[in-house]
Amino acid sequence: MVRVKENFFIYADPRKCLGCKNCELACAIAHADCDLQTAVTKGLQLQPRNLVVQVDDMVMPIQCRQCEDAPCALACPTGAIYQEDGFVKINEGNCIGCKVCTMVCPFGAISITKDINDNSNYRTKKAKARKCDLCFSRIQDNNEVSCACVEACPTKAIMLVDYESYRKKLIEERGKELVRAHTKTKV
Amino acid sequence: MSKMNKTIDPAVNYLLPLAKKAGLETAWDRYEAMQPQCGFGELGICCRICWKGPCRIDPFGNGPQRGVCGADAHTIVARNLSRMIVAGAAAHSEHGRHVALTLLEVGEGHAPAYQIKDEQKLRDIAEKLNLSPAGKDIKQVAKEVALASLEDFSRQKHSIPCNWAKETMSAERVDKLAKLGVMPHNIDAVITEIMGRTHVGCDADAVNVLLGGLKGALADYTGMYLSTELSDVLFGTPEPVVTAANLGVLKKDAVNIAVHGHNPLLSEIICDVALKMNEEAKKAGAKEGINIVGICCTGNEVMMRRGIPLATNYLSQELAIITGAVDAMVVDVQCIMPAITSLAECFHTQVITTMRENKITGATHIEFHEDSAFDSAKKIVEVAIDAFKRRDNRKVNIPDYKQTAIAGFSAEAIMAALSKVNAKDPLKPLIDNIVNGNIQGIALFAGCNNPQVTQDNNFITIAKELAKNNVLMLATGCGAGAFAKNGLMTQEATEAYAGDSLKAVLTAIGKAAGFNGPLPLVLHMGSCVDNTRAVKVAVAVADNLGVDLDKLPVVASAPEAMAEKAVAIGTWAVALGLPTHIGIVPQIMGSSVVAEFLTEKAKDLLGGYFIVETDPEKAADQLFTAIKERRKGLGI
Ligand code: SF4
Ligand code: SF4
Ligand code: SF4
Ligand code: SF4
Repeated sequence: MVRVKENFFIYADPRKCLGCKNCELACAIAHADCDLQTAVTKGLQLQPRNLVVQVDDMVMPIQCRQCEDAPCALACPTGAIYQEDGFVKINEGNCIGCKVCTMVCPFGAISITKDINDNSNYRTKKAKARKCDLCFSRIQDNNEVSCACVEACPTKAIMLVDYESYRKKLIEERGKELVRAHTKTKV
Repeated sequence: MSKMNKTIDPAVNYLLPLAKKAGLETAWDRYEAMQPQCGFGELGICCRICWKGPCRIDPFGNGPQRGVCGADAHTIVARNLSRMIVAGAAAHSEHGRHVALTLLEVGEGHAPAYQIKDEQKLRDIAEKLNLSPAGKDIKQVAKEVALASLEDFSRQKHSIPCNWAKETMSAERVDKLAKLGVMPHNIDAVITEIMGRTHVGCDADAVNVLLGGLKGALADYTGMYLSTELSDVLFGTPEPVVTAANLGVLKKDAVNIAVHGHNPLLSEIICDVALKMNEEAKKAGAKEGINIVGICCTGNEVMMRRGIPLATNYLSQELAIITGAVDAMVVDVQCIMPAITSLAECFHTQVITTMRENKITGATHIEFHEDSAFDSAKKIVEVAIDAFKRRDNRKVNIPDYKQTAIAGFSAEAIMAALSKVNAKDPLKPLIDNIVNGNIQGIALFAGCNNPQVTQDNNFITIAKELAKNNVLMLATGCGAGAFAKNGLMTQEATEAYAGDSLKAVLTAIGKAAGFNGPLPLVLHMGSCVDNTRAVKVAVAVADNLGVDLDKLPVVASAPEAMAEKAVAIGTWAVALGLPTHIGIVPQIMGSSVVAEFLTEKAKDLLGGYFIVETDPEKAADQLFTAIKERRKGLGI
């Protein structure tokens, strides 16, 4: 049986996030195929796939959790959102903007926005779903996932987590605690 | 960043790996650690002017488009820029005030360390400022000139422009600027005015705020102009001098004192005193006595007046300490990295601060006052000699790189060289050659290094390109440092890089002026406060041709700009009518109104405008295109 690896995801530490929104800018740029200055001078509309939100006195960015049993992928009538190689991917070209994914995402991680730079001749509104794709489009030949937001965060509040190694570390830590508790009771 | 070369300076390239091995951190390391830098700041759209903020504008239109008070991106960018300009103006004009006050003390006989070294220049200035110096005692003239200069810091009547601004520009320019309401009447007042009008809830119309910025830039011009001219009076007007540049000028067997910063008031006296203390250094074991070297613009000041070699320019100042051979680094004001004191901890080097208003934690502070300048200088040299005794020679790594550099082309020195060709009308050979196209135009390079680009590379690339196209080049500040370190201030560079007609002209003038060959490819016009020297030449040419500056084929470039002072200089260059290139994307792109004003609308209003281009080859093209456009306008 082929073992399928669980999805990577972005983990944010609200204690470290300063709400500078640099991750939003970086994400928007990463998905726009141009640099910040050009985008701004040309008045391009850029779309971050993440959103820094403030909850009480905490700030943190929210983006797709890369759910294993992804509701958005299950609900999407056109198959624009789908699971592949440990990513919840999106093919914006297939999206019809029906917003079902937005409704079912438990984290509000999908936004439907209009692309004002798209000049194709639509009969209807031009909105598409946008969601974090773990910067899939940026993956180079070396197969390294490099998320623009993670790289851009000045306080390193966000990181890309490989679920398996994350869990391994977690278990090791808990294990250590248990061992310590054990040795103490002995003494 | 990691893919970009850090520098083209061979001495720096030699030292950086050693620094890394020793675990010593430099500006490049800190720059890398800083990545990515905040996009809002880059675009200039964050506002921290009041405590309701920080506010920031979403450049993509999804989030807030106005700050809490309602200021939009245009207002915020314009305010931030204008504040930068006046910070630059403040730095330059404090320097100028200091020099003017010293001249006043000399006039009154209170500053024994200083003299009037260029009486003729003082009298010429007095003439220019309409003070009728004929027949007056020189000390009296000094006092009157100092007071007239200080008046530019105190005049309350708005309708009367600053002496130093009005008397140094073409009449047409003064008129144009006055009509725009941007002619400064009082340097201090203008700086205060702009801080006031950019306070929360004041001037909110981006264009009006920018006009304030222009006025601030012209206040900067005024402070700089008087600063340079009065320094010449006190310390002598620079004349060409052959010296050397780059870290190879440090000497293993000497007490090395690096003078760093901007103000010549102390460094000049240190040079005087050090000469007298050579024996003491030798007694301490330094076979070659005392070796003074310069860094940044204090370095340029003593280089062009005394031929003291230049160790390095802004971005590599830390590397001077990393050589392990600097016994004392004496710093005054501006462009001193606070990092030097923690680096110095790893060596025997003493960092000595000298100004009450500029201290750095970890430095030895030896305060300097004009009336007791000798004493402070003596103390400083003693500290250096003492440090030398503790030097660990195993840690010494002096890179074997230095270049010859010919420095000291003040406006007067250029005129003197030209007058050897035509004594009656010195400007004629220059103008004739511009008109007949042997010289296509003039480019002034100014200021700074910036780790966002490969150190010195923009300067050198653009200069080689323009040289080919027969453009005469001048340089000041750390730009001058870049050319000096990399061998472009030599006669050999003229032979190697100048286009045929430029080479012929530089050779003719050079030979006539006794250089035994051509003038150097790039003429060293001084420190960054000395940019007005170039204006002096340009205004003379403009007056001679009977046109305003905005018609001349003269351009400016700050291809590695960094400091607020550079922002101020660039802005007054535009206000005076020059196409002005910057090689670093300025923090204004978040406002289309501001960007358009500075790169386009300014052209209609002032003749000058900004060219933003980060690629040095393309920048050279654009500068040359601007020159050709101007030539066409003049019908030549
Ligand atoms: S970049 Fe980091 S600190 Fe800034 S908003 Fe994003 S997560 Fe927060
Ligand atoms: S909006 Fe697009 S992505 Fe979302 S469910 Fe509909 S088709 Fe699929
Ligand atoms: S978009 Fe929402 S529902 Fe879909 S995978 Fe991500 S978190 Fe899960
Ligand atoms: S991982 Fe990439 S796509 Fe996802 S939020 Fe971050 S920058 Fe955007």
